[in-house]
Amino acid sequence: MEIAIPPGSAYVGIVRLAVGSLARSAGFDEERVDEIRIAVSEACTNAVLTNDEAGSAEAIAISWREESDHIVVEVGDRGASPEQQPSAADSQGFAPRLVMSVALLRELVDDLSFDPRPGGGTLTRLTFSRAG
Amino acid sequence: MELGLDVRKVDSHSVVDVKGEIDVYTAPKLREKLIELVSEGSYNVVVNLEGVDFLDSTGLGVLVGALKRVKAHDGSLSLVCTQDKILKIFKITGLTKVFPIHSSVNEAAGGAA
Repeated sequence: MEIAIPPGSAYVGIVRLAVGSLARSAGFDEERVDEIRIAVSEACTNAVLTNDEAGSAEAIAISWREESDHIVVEVGDRGASPEQQPSAADSQGFAPRLVMSVALLRELVDDLSFDPRPGGGTLTRLTFSRAG
Repeated sequence: MELGLDVRKVDSHSVVDVKGEIDVYTAPKLREKLIELVSEGSYNVVVNLEGVDFLDSTGLGVLVGALKRVKAHDGSLSLVCTQDKILKIFKITGLTKVFPIHSSVNEAAGGAA
């Protein structure tokens, strides 16, 4: 299944609704449904913000694929990978928002990757194990 | 998607009762409210997250920004949260060490641990 949203912050909540429903239908328990919603929401938020920074008005492409033992969610944007963006803490020791976002993603997904997309941008891939 | 923000005074603290989802769309509204409070001279702030269904990194960023603002005035920013799904977000990002997190507004405003 694929969803494309305009690159605006108002649409991330709609993705959460859709993903919550898909995850429930796929048989995840409520706690895991919630974690999947958080992780996909973070990936979409990063995509919306990085598209904005890159000056891209292109839609954010989100795909949901169910395999026998896992689910793969991919979020495509036209901005820089989180791994290429500043990660240093500020003078008071606080991490940038994006570092907190990646910490949440790493904790909540079973496998996480950021890959370059053809034509520029980043494909964020979140894998959720059905067993986990 | 709406974010409810109600401000009340409890002793010397300004308490912000937040209702709804704090995400990239709604977080700016919370940021504006917290900046407004500090600019009005409220330096001891309690953010009550008991009515919050969802919190993400943009919401955390707003809370960290507000903490820096009140600290610049020797103030405090405490949170009220007992929901596991919200507490989990603070634990994963290490912010349980940064914010005093209480189980009730009275506890937060009273300064009890």
